[in-house]
Amino acid sequence: MNAIISLCHFCELHGPKVLFCTQPFHPEEKTVSAGDSETEGADGSIPSRRHVASSAEPMTPQTPTHNSLPNYKNDLCEGCTSVHLGFVSHDEEAAVSYMSSQRPQHRDVFAMVRQACIRSLSCEVCPGREGPIFFGDEQQGHAISYTFYIKDYQARGFQRLYSVIVVMMDKIYLLNSWPFLVSHIETVVEHLKSKASVVFENEKVKMPLRQYRLTSTSVNPKNFIQQRGGNVNKPARSLNELTDDKHVFKVLHTSFVWILKACGNRLSETLLEGPPTEDSIIDMEKQEETEEGFVKLFSKKLGIDDDLELGLDVLSNPGTNPGDNGTIDEVVEDDGSPEIIDIRHIYKLLGSRRFHVLAHHVVIGNQIILRGKGRTLIRTFQNALTWLLPKGCYRAVPYSDEYVESYRCNFLGLNPAVSIPSYVNTSEPFLLVDIYEPEDVHLESPDPFKGYIFKLSTFFDLDKVVAPSVLQKMEHAIVNDSLSIEVVDQCLICLKEEWMNKVKVMFKFTKAGGGRSEEDAKNLLKIVGATDDDKPLLSYWMRGLSDQYKKHILSASRQHVL
Amino acid sequence: MSHEVDDMKYGISFPGDFNYGPDIDGEGDTASTLPQHKPRILLMGLRRSGKSSIQKVVFHKVSPNETLFLESTNKMVKEDVTNCSFVVFQVWDLPGHLDYFDSAFDSEHIFGGCDALIFVIDSQDDYQDALAKLHFTVSRAYKINANIKFEVFIHKVDGLSDDHKIDSQRDIHQRATDDLVDAGLENLHLSFYLTSIYDHSIFEAFSKVVQKLIPQIPTLENLLDIFISNSGIEKAFLFDVVSKIYIATDSSPVDMQSYELCCDMIDVVLDISTIYGDDADFSFPPERLKEENAFNTDSCAVIKLNNGTVMYLRQVTKYLALVCILREDSFKRQGLIDYNFWCFRKGIKEVFELRKTNKQLTNGENLENGMGEPPQV
Repeated sequence: MNAIISLCHFCELHGPKVLFCTQPFHPEEKTVSAGDSETEGADGSIPSRRHVASSAEPMTPQTPTHNSLPNYKNDLCEGCTSVHLGFVSHDEEAAVSYMSSQRPQHRDVFAMVRQACIRSLSCEVCPGREGPIFFGDEQQGHAISYTFYIKDYQARGFQRLYSVIVVMMDKIYLLNSWPFLVSHIETVVEHLKSKASVVFENEKVKMPLRQYRLTSTSVNPKNFIQQRGGNVNKPARSLNELTDDKHVFKVLHTSFVWILKACGNRLSETLLEGPPTEDSIIDMEKQEETEEGFVKLFSKKLGIDDDLELGLDVLSNPGTNPGDNGTIDEVVEDDGSPEIIDIRHIYKLLGSRRFHVLAHHVVIGNQIILRGKGRTLIRTFQNALTWLLPKGCYRAVPYSDEYVESYRCNFLGLNPAVSIPSYVNTSEPFLLVDIYEPEDVHLESPDPFKGYIFKLSTFFDLDKVVAPSVLQKMEHAIVNDSLSIEVVDQCLICLKEEWMNKVKVMFKFTKAGGGRSEEDAKNLLKIVGATDDDKPLLSYWMRGLSDQYKKHILSASRQHVL
Repeated sequence: MSHEVDDMKYGISFPGDFNYGPDIDGEGDTASTLPQHKPRILLMGLRRSGKSSIQKVVFHKVSPNETLFLESTNKMVKEDVTNCSFVVFQVWDLPGHLDYFDSAFDSEHIFGGCDALIFVIDSQDDYQDALAKLHFTVSRAYKINANIKFEVFIHKVDGLSDDHKIDSQRDIHQRATDDLVDAGLENLHLSFYLTSIYDHSIFEAFSKVVQKLIPQIPTLENLLDIFISNSGIEKAFLFDVVSKIYIATDSSPVDMQSYELCCDMIDVVLDISTIYGDDADFSFPPERLKEENAFNTDSCAVIKLNNGTVMYLRQVTKYLALVCILREDSFKRQGLIDYNFWCFRKGIKEVFELRKTNKQLTNGENLENGMGEPPQV
């Protein structure tokens, strides 16, 4: 985390002072030391980490702006000094070094921290006097400040004011880290306070100063002077002394380093380009389910319309990343059969009429059964067809030795020996693609598909049915040779996303609030720019909506009804 | 006895509170140019010089002994002294540790809207540093706002012998003005006061500072002069009851002892009426409720001293009381005094109303008309 944590103190003599700072250094960044004049210009930059530690000391006595008080403007009392050299911790894994010293090395950083210190101790008012507040601006950086009192038996008012500040330029990051930072700074603060109050109680027993001040002749002016004089020599004790802990700054260093590191690990930023598409949300949902290390069974959390779909779609092994194009990965061993590269490839193999039939079946969700020997061929064939569908609609069994029902998968690869059961023949709308390999294999042929025959057969004729309008557009893009295949991909994604939005509207319409008439449905179709021909597609694609969205709509509509 | 004085309610965030409008660049009385402007008094000085103690003792009735247990002030403490109908002013207690001319602070804002600057010097300490700081502060503040009235409190003089007091006042006066002359700031005028929280000197000094901020002072003084001369009274003070600051007195010189006597009388009256007064009005903040309830416009007290003097207290408004010292034989004509007092109160009310309608007051003239002619019996 690119922040600097400091401990500040309102010194009895010198006012608000920065006591102790911890900040991370990345090895590549060159740190310019504070002020050329102060270090005689010799240490212009700090190349090595060891150097950082050793150069920390000489600049401690200087305070840049304090021209008001003539006699003690430059010296620092015990109360406002912490460490002479400082501490350095290396995080080898992340290649970050954390350095603690009295003051930050860089002049600008110091100016920022000093400003935040003054504001935290002498300007900003924290409700209840102790606790966290946030302040800052674009120039001076943003800060979370936690002010607290440490008991000191010899101090005015028996307590001294300290604060821990976290200064950062990134306001959003800082505010998002608020719960983490505040709770852990609190822990550090409580530690210091409890130590100091033990010391306080001990001193109180030894010397009942308050009684002495009140009952003795302290009102007597001469005595008053003496009492004051006694305090002047040592106006402020160091934090070491107050907590009776020689290693208090060492402990602070480790705490601060941990806070910086853990806070950095807590939030990582990702660049988001535009809102996520429905497909990427589905990917994320799948990923969530597998994160625990279980076998990736994606059962829908809400069994709304498909209760049967329980864990049957076993997608390869748990290690597979479902993110890359939603393809089934190369777990199925390659058997040497030729591969289909993309959707355009299929188009070329089948010709426009047959491709149209195939694509039509695909987009309205009829089962596509690929029967043939070449496993790789079938697998890549299936992958290529997924270009036409939203990810949520895509459920495939790459290769099987027996028929799998259509509610389990819409893409099925079959062994040529298997025949379709007769009950399926009559009841289910499916498209069977038989792939016949050529008898004589020409190994050296430039076209690996030479001799391959694709035969489409179905009992469910779509010839008379008008295809959904989106399919025409898709085909248009695929046919157009002047578009590169990447452009086609993007084009199909856009078309799919466009229609998914319509599907969302339809989903909301059908699920939210009952009692919609036929007339309403027609009007809605008109509004979203769809016709009756698109209905099968719309209703099928509803299955491709993300769980997140469905849940949201259902809960929202339920609330609405209530 | 609790020494933990909770002063949270006075703490105001430093950069906020900008609603007092632009600086006043007019001449003469700054307070009269902007009717809504609250005169601002800054308390400055080195650390431990007694700024917070002064504020606590004068405005919070903290016992002087208890101020030993105040912690050091770490931020500006702003306080509105609003419960006094005539002077509504602010007191800002500025910690001595900070350098207000540093870039971290908006010195234009702090000193630009300021009317009086009280610099507190600890007379029991070596005041060499304090003088340097005084010179630095005063000259810088003067550059920002030439209308500031600079007051120097030579504080904690309770520890000094009378001779020593005079010596140090002369010494401080000499050195401070020499420094200013050397710096070419002859026009900058410093006023010096010897103060201590253990007696009434701090109240008196603060009274004088406040009086300078009241534009109607000549009017009030005139009013009081007419009142006492017509009633056979020796000395009269117009007090802010809560703080025991006197807003005005007649033009005869103020004797410290009679001032103390009057303060003590207010204490006595307050104490008695807190016990026996009726508790009707709850519109005040709780911490002041006690005192407010004690007094109302009918409050009146007479104390006869064994040296033939009578002290007479009458409430003028909710916050103001008139305390008079007179010979016993003058007090025989109490009816006349009461009538004159009634006229006096009417005059004061007219001054208030004029102020409320934001009309410019031409000093003196309206007064005598408002006063009326007291009948001679």
